[in-house]
Amino acid sequence: MLTLALDIATTAAILFIVSAGLLIVFGVMKIINFAHGALITAGAYAALVGMRLGLPAWMAPFLAFMVGGLLGMAIESVVVRRLYRRPLDAILATWGLGIVLGQAVIVGFGREVQFVAAPVAGTIGLGGTDYSLYRLLLVAAALAIGIGFTFVLNGTRLGLSTRAVILNETLAEGLGINAVFVRFLTFGIGSGLGAAAGALITPLASVDPNMGIPWLINAFMLVMVSGSALSTLAVACLVLGGMQVVISTFVSPILGGLAIAVLAAIALRLRPEGFARA
Amino acid sequence: MPDLLTPRRRIALAALAAGLLVVVAPWIVDTYTASILARAFFVAIAALTVDVLWGYSGVLTFGQSAFFGIGAYALAMTFTHVGFDAGGIALAFGLAVIVAGLVAALVGWLSFYHGSTPLYASVVSLVLPIVLVQLIYAGGETTGSSSGLVGFQTFDLDLETWFRLAGLATVAVAAAGYLLLHSDAGRILAALRDNEARCSYIGINVERLRLGILVVCAIVAALAGLGHAALGGVAAPENASFVFGTQLVIMVALGGRGTLLGAVLGALGIELASAYLSGSLPFIWELIVGIAFVAVIVLFPAGLIGALRRLIPGDRADAAPRLQTAAPLPRADRDMMVEARGVTRQFGSLAVLNGVSFSARRGELVSLVGPNGAGKTTLIRCLADGLERTGGEISIVGRPIGRLPPHRLVAFGLGRKFQAASVFNTLTVADCLRIARSRRDPMSWFDRSPVLSLPQAARQVIEGGGLGDRLGDVAGDLSHGLKQALELAMVLALEPDVVLLDEPTAGLTRAERSAFGAILTDLVRREGLCVLLVEHDLDFVREISSRIIVLHQGQIALDGTVEQVVNAPLVHEIYTGGHVPTAETAS
Amino acid sequence: MSAPLLALDRVSSGYGSSRVVRDVSLDIASGEIVALIGKNGMGKSTLLKTIMGFLRLQTGGIALAGRDIAAIPSHRKASLGLAYVPQEQPIFQDLTVHDNLRLGLASDAGLAAGIAEMAQAFPVLGRRLRQRAGTLSGGEQKMLIVARGLIARPRLMLLDEVTEGLQPSVVDRLAEALTAARRDRGTAMLIVEQHLPFVLGVSDRFAVFKSGEIVDSGPVDAAAALRIEAHTRL
Repeated sequence: MLTLALDIATTAAILFIVSAGLLIVFGVMKIINFAHGALITAGAYAALVGMRLGLPAWMAPFLAFMVGGLLGMAIESVVVRRLYRRPLDAILATWGLGIVLGQAVIVGFGREVQFVAAPVAGTIGLGGTDYSLYRLLLVAAALAIGIGFTFVLNGTRLGLSTRAVILNETLAEGLGINAVFVRFLTFGIGSGLGAAAGALITPLASVDPNMGIPWLINAFMLVMVSGSALSTLAVACLVLGGMQVVISTFVSPILGGLAIAVLAAIALRLRPEGFARA
Repeated sequence: MPDLLTPRRRIALAALAAGLLVVVAPWIVDTYTASILARAFFVAIAALTVDVLWGYSGVLTFGQSAFFGIGAYALAMTFTHVGFDAGGIALAFGLAVIVAGLVAALVGWLSFYHGSTPLYASVVSLVLPIVLVQLIYAGGETTGSSSGLVGFQTFDLDLETWFRLAGLATVAVAAAGYLLLHSDAGRILAALRDNEARCSYIGINVERLRLGILVVCAIVAALAGLGHAALGGVAAPENASFVFGTQLVIMVALGGRGTLLGAVLGALGIELASAYLSGSLPFIWELIVGIAFVAVIVLFPAGLIGALRRLIPGDRADAAPRLQTAAPLPRADRDMMVEARGVTRQFGSLAVLNGVSFSARRGELVSLVGPNGAGKTTLIRCLADGLERTGGEISIVGRPIGRLPPHRLVAFGLGRKFQAASVFNTLTVADCLRIARSRRDPMSWFDRSPVLSLPQAARQVIEGGGLGDRLGDVAGDLSHGLKQALELAMVLALEPDVVLLDEPTAGLTRAERSAFGAILTDLVRREGLCVLLVEHDLDFVREISSRIIVLHQGQIALDGTVEQVVNAPLVHEIYTGGHVPTAETAS
Repeated sequence: MSAPLLALDRVSSGYGSSRVVRDVSLDIASGEIVALIGKNGMGKSTLLKTIMGFLRLQTGGIALAGRDIAAIPSHRKASLGLAYVPQEQPIFQDLTVHDNLRLGLASDAGLAAGIAEMAQAFPVLGRRLRQRAGTLSGGEQKMLIVARGLIARPRLMLLDEVTEGLQPSVVDRLAEALTAARRDRGTAMLIVEQHLPFVLGVSDRFAVFKSGEIVDSGPVDAAAALRIEAHTRL
């Protein structure tokens, strides 16, 4: 029972880490970044490179954030900026960029599966069960990301400008806020977060050039359900991630793997505006 | 010359030429190329369905691969587990059609509902192949799991025959698609893509139509998948995968969306090039495709065909139809046209409308005025869409509207003109009007009619408004004033009893404005329409109204004749903050 | 002779291909208040949006203190001393009164002083700094948007129908605030209005706008009211 609860908490945390960047981009720009999956992959490879260079493992997410952030800013300024008025084309173009990134990774690193060591290994005894320490660490990471971004958004001038752009772009421009720059920065940060997520989850699994795609789908569905608030994203991750764990444990892992996508699609049909204004 | 080469003859000639090419090609190209192309033809048919859904009707779909996969597995599973005989063949075809149709109906029900967004439909289309592939993985021996089904007995045809079969099927699907989509009725798909709201307010059941299109496209894609599996003797999870679904979109985008030919060229080109290049340039090739795809989306959204069209500007305009006056419909024998009782609209805790009651009769032109935020546009919305209001009752021509969606209210005799001119931007003026008439004059799915029947009033607006000789022009290219006139004519083409107009004169010149006023008063007097008008320009309101309703803070502040309202101190207070020095000097 | 603060030279603009403002020329001197009067739908707001750069200038020129600003992006106009008080969706409903005011300033330097000053000019706002702006009454919201314009001490303020739907007492309050801003800091203003008593009380000059053109203009004097009335009677 405790293991199940821990599984749910850690799964939700992982989902939150993976989706947060996508949500931030969607919230500010109303654009879905389908390159998010490839950015997750890029972050994982950044962690791999960091390990080969002998950097300490705790630096991997930060290195990945930098790599993803730079990639994101490049993507925004070259491609996404031209597609604000064509949101469906923005999905396609970012998906295309995802293909490009994925193939570039293959050219650079080959197709084979590789492994990255976790910064902390082993398990911790909790109420009679042993549980992976690293998975628990990811809960802390998710909390840090959630709290950090809530603080930036609500406690800083940049956050205020960003909220102003989200709420009313024309008015914000009239007050001297450079909405183009806010979006550029947002896309960079969202992409950086995606890559950092890739670095954070690799020690749990492995690194391969297509690892980002399944995560992209789940993250996308979670963001659709959440609207644009980090708090509702957290709830969505807990509820849908929880369903995934329960179904995987008691019914079948295959159905569990589909739980988020299918349940989110049904939830959106029943409540089209998402759960942000529940 | 134009008479000899009508669009239908042109497409027949093109199809004939393409068919000939397909028949001759196996004698020219080498076996390897022929085998690649034979398979590619089936992919091209699936790409054609993506083009119909995305390029023509505006729903970006990643899920056509799922239907392709359903067809492939229908054949592979039947031939593997039931056997390859006449019964098995019939069963395979039957299963492909029925399962694809049912799944499409389910997906369509999920994707299209009143108020659904194009993004949501894309979301569902993305989930479908993912679910299907997982089911295939979980299917064990039945589906062959991750390795798919191979080694079943299938049609024993030589490559040349397969090539011609597949090629001719592609030509047939493309030609039939072209005829359907460019028929009078087929333009509705483009209308859906351009402006779904306008379609609803013309009386088209948008959701049911979209569902129907999806079911047809799904069945065609399933049959393509069935052919693909029969030719290759294999059905693999990749055939149904989300990645293949996106590849289909890439093919259509590169070839040119909304052209059909672009989908075929894109599919054949990419399949051929990847067969040749993925060997010599293993990963670089996909990198190139990815870069090309991004570049095309950003720089040439119309794709290869679109770029070619820009280089070779041909006269693509259809001959404009001849106008005809439709026989007038008998008018409802009833005087009371609009009755609203206690209409309320809340947004959260904010009541934009708070207990609005009024009525309007035949032959009245009632203007709704009031400051911004008074609730005028909200009231119009509540009258035109039964789902909008949060309280109160509304009857149109004596029938309570309940919670009915807009397309049902059109049948009650309601026409609504939006504030910003709402027409079909990529269609011609004639097509816009014809679609507006679709409830009265059923349209052909195979042909273009040389005549266009319009009721007298709509014809007056078209001819009097300067659109008479521009029927063949694309609506999006019209000036603002002409677009407004076109939308009014589209509304009048419905032969409504009640017309709702939301700021129809915004952005019009003074001359256009007075011409518009004359048309309205004439309609009310001669046709006995009941017109409800939201308007800011009080001069205009005073000239044309038979009654004025003043809305203020979500309630009716005043309801009376022009003189009563114009002279009411309350109106001065609302509009100018009171104490205006009254001066009777003539201007 | 120095250039006027704002110089509009045969400005035309509109939405897409339509032309809503036609060949409008108008100068505003430093510290001058000019009222643009006319009914709704005549293109007054369009003119302000064009000055701000939200709509493309179709022909003509716009200069601020002698400098061509037609091509300068909207978001850089605030830093040139231009404040815009729009008519439609003028506040951030979900932000607090405090944050709305804060967004009127380019940076948080001088925030406390600015807020204190505005709280003095509009005591009702001072009492509600932590309240969500969307929960204010209509009049309070108008005060908020005027205060947000004034807080940056602009050289020129563009006001679009700030008195619409307000009670006389609130209108008087706004008139006082605007007059004080001009008196104390020399803020020039272009006021788009329909409210005649308000306009006549605060402006130096008027221009009557009809169907996108200026049809009459002159100083606000004893004859002004009658002249304006003749053009704008209901």
